[in-house]
Amino acid sequence: MNDTTLDAPQLSRRSLLKVGLMGTALLGTAGLTATLSGCSASTPAGGYLILRSSDLPFLRALIPVMLDGAVSAEQMPQAIDGTLKSLDSSLAHLSPEMLKLTVQLFDVLALPITRGPLTGVWGSWDNASGDDVRQFLKRWQNSSLSLLRMGHASLLQLVMMAWYSRQEAWAHCGYPGPPTV
Amino acid sequence: MPVPDLFKQGLTKGWKTYDGSRLENDLTLEADVAIVGSGAGGGTTAEILSAAGYKVLLIEEGPLKTSDDFKMQEAEAYPNLYQEGIGRMSKDGAITILQGRAVGGTTLVNWTSSFRTPPQTLAHWAEAHGVKGHDVASMAPWFEKMEQRLGVAPWAIPPNANNEVIRTGCDKLGYHWAVIPRNVRGCWNLGYCGMGCPTNAKQSMLVTTIPATLDAGGELLYLARADKLLIEGDKVVGIDCLGMDARCVAPTGKRIRVKARHYVLAGGGINTPGLLLRSAVPDPHKRVGRRTYLHLVNFSAAQFEQVINPFYGAPQSLYSDHFQWDDGTTGRLSFKLEVPPLQPALTATLLGEFGRENALRMEQLPHTNVMLALLRDGFHPDCAEGRVELRGDGSPVLDYQMTDYTWDGVRRAFLTMAEIQFAAGAKAVMPMHADAGYVRTWKEAKELIEQLDLALYRTRLGSAHVMGGCAMGEDPQQAVVDSLGRHHQLDNLSIHDGSLFPTSIGANPQLSIYGLTSKLATLLAERLRA
Repeated sequence: MNDTTLDAPQLSRRSLLKVGLMGTALLGTAGLTATLSGCSASTPAGGYLILRSSDLPFLRALIPVMLDGAVSAEQMPQAIDGTLKSLDSSLAHLSPEMLKLTVQLFDVLALPITRGPLTGVWGSWDNASGDDVRQFLKRWQNSSLSLLRMGHASLLQLVMMAWYSRQEAWAHCGYPGPPTV
Repeated sequence: MPVPDLFKQGLTKGWKTYDGSRLENDLTLEADVAIVGSGAGGGTTAEILSAAGYKVLLIEEGPLKTSDDFKMQEAEAYPNLYQEGIGRMSKDGAITILQGRAVGGTTLVNWTSSFRTPPQTLAHWAEAHGVKGHDVASMAPWFEKMEQRLGVAPWAIPPNANNEVIRTGCDKLGYHWAVIPRNVRGCWNLGYCGMGCPTNAKQSMLVTTIPATLDAGGELLYLARADKLLIEGDKVVGIDCLGMDARCVAPTGKRIRVKARHYVLAGGGINTPGLLLRSAVPDPHKRVGRRTYLHLVNFSAAQFEQVINPFYGAPQSLYSDHFQWDDGTTGRLSFKLEVPPLQPALTATLLGEFGRENALRMEQLPHTNVMLALLRDGFHPDCAEGRVELRGDGSPVLDYQMTDYTWDGVRRAFLTMAEIQFAAGAKAVMPMHADAGYVRTWKEAKELIEQLDLALYRTRLGSAHVMGGCAMGEDPQQAVVDSLGRHHQLDNLSIHDGSLFPTSIGANPQLSIYGLTSKLATLLAERLRA
């Protein structure tokens, strides 16, 4: 397969190690900064059980990229809102440890100090283009840091599952819905 | 025509239940036997002990949901009926682990496949793991008894098109296939077994052994987490339970103290070893949580010209064991082939990718078949092995380290599944891996699969069969309990669930748990009388 990982020949073991250490340090920084500064609010945004206002710009940039091709441009705003609702509800049922990991992931994505170096998106998510988001996802999928590869897998699962559990999603995939009992 | 909700009817007859989320005060409950977990092992044990005249208390962490609640909606079913709100994964987040968490345990959400423990597996346990007295002949009556109790019979209705792929493909290639026995009575052939049976056709513990236990004066405590066993000397003297909120996420602060003569753990793989670890139960040889196996699963998707509608119809009705023992019991990693049901939310995550690519794949859902391989782990020293650990908050997590031996099994399973799907007439096949798309010929598939970088996260892996972690066996240096489920160190503690198995089973495990625990519970009832 085409090898797009960081494990390319020009990258020495030493520089790989550096990326690894830096990444880990940055992840730690995000958690710590978030805790100390209260920069990522710990209270849910209005109308949500779990999602905080600091999580929303990233998710609003991510979801249309994920649903592209399955949802028309006109339907997209409602689809984003619906997906956020479903996502919020599934987060509200996660075990505390799994929720903690997810919240840390959202912190890393929201805080400028970690977002830039780890995602390659240096401005705010509000201004990120679809290509920026796709680029970031590709980068994480092929990262040398297993935490980022795990983050990539979680984002895909969370969003796709949230959308396709909704009735509005079913026409696209030819699912008539459950039978009547 | 509305389906009567059998459990609700029972409640109006005066069954004794406690909702741990709604306690106003701490509670103390007493019983002859306290059973932690209400799935296959707990339910079976409860029915047998209560029929023998003992007062049984069943303790379940999850909620009580009954047929009226089962709306066949993924959005409701997964977060409410599965462990960790369906967030359970291996420690590295690379393997999704599906286990039930509600009254009835995994039997509430499994796909009803019911196989006896294969003779090769029983023989291997006797030979390699010091398991005594569970050979084919002595197990047969226990399997037969539970098959009758739970209506287990080969599925008599034609398989849905998703399952049919196994028959067509295997027939073409001269591979073995057979009909799956299912534990159903009057099944409507709907296809939503994984979300709770809305017609009470599935003979889960919710509609069989638990009602029988409650009829016999047993009690049920739900939304209560068994937090710690209390130990004095070589005896368990109580269980500290935490009332859980209605979503089963956080403790409410109310406690339930349970006292009994004998204690049976039946929380399943991961949770039972987790409770032992949390309770610091004596474990001189560090065996608790070791040798946990998953029937690690990989998947292959195929698109067909004809309509498959893989979301409808009995989810699993055909299987192939052609490769299960192809290199003996302890050779290369082998597998059983089956299919999963494909409702859209779970399927969207399985099919991988996002945006247009995922949309194209999802658009073809009505024409899509997915096959899965259950890798028979635990029989070879080089096989991946899971180990249960505790996280910071005391909750258990499974560290499952992949090995080259195991990846080799994954690759061969990808090859075999693609071969069968093409033989069945698929126009395109896709191994479920981040670097794979649909390919049009068997030759292309072979080339693709042989080169795939089989790595964590790139390969989509799952498990619905956690087994082991509290292995049974006569040697205390190797096993946590003896062959009758009696704890090697503590007197009045038994384990009756899938965590007993020293290896994986090589078949969907529910009937293995029913058969073994019915035997263990019957013998326990005799010992308690003595």
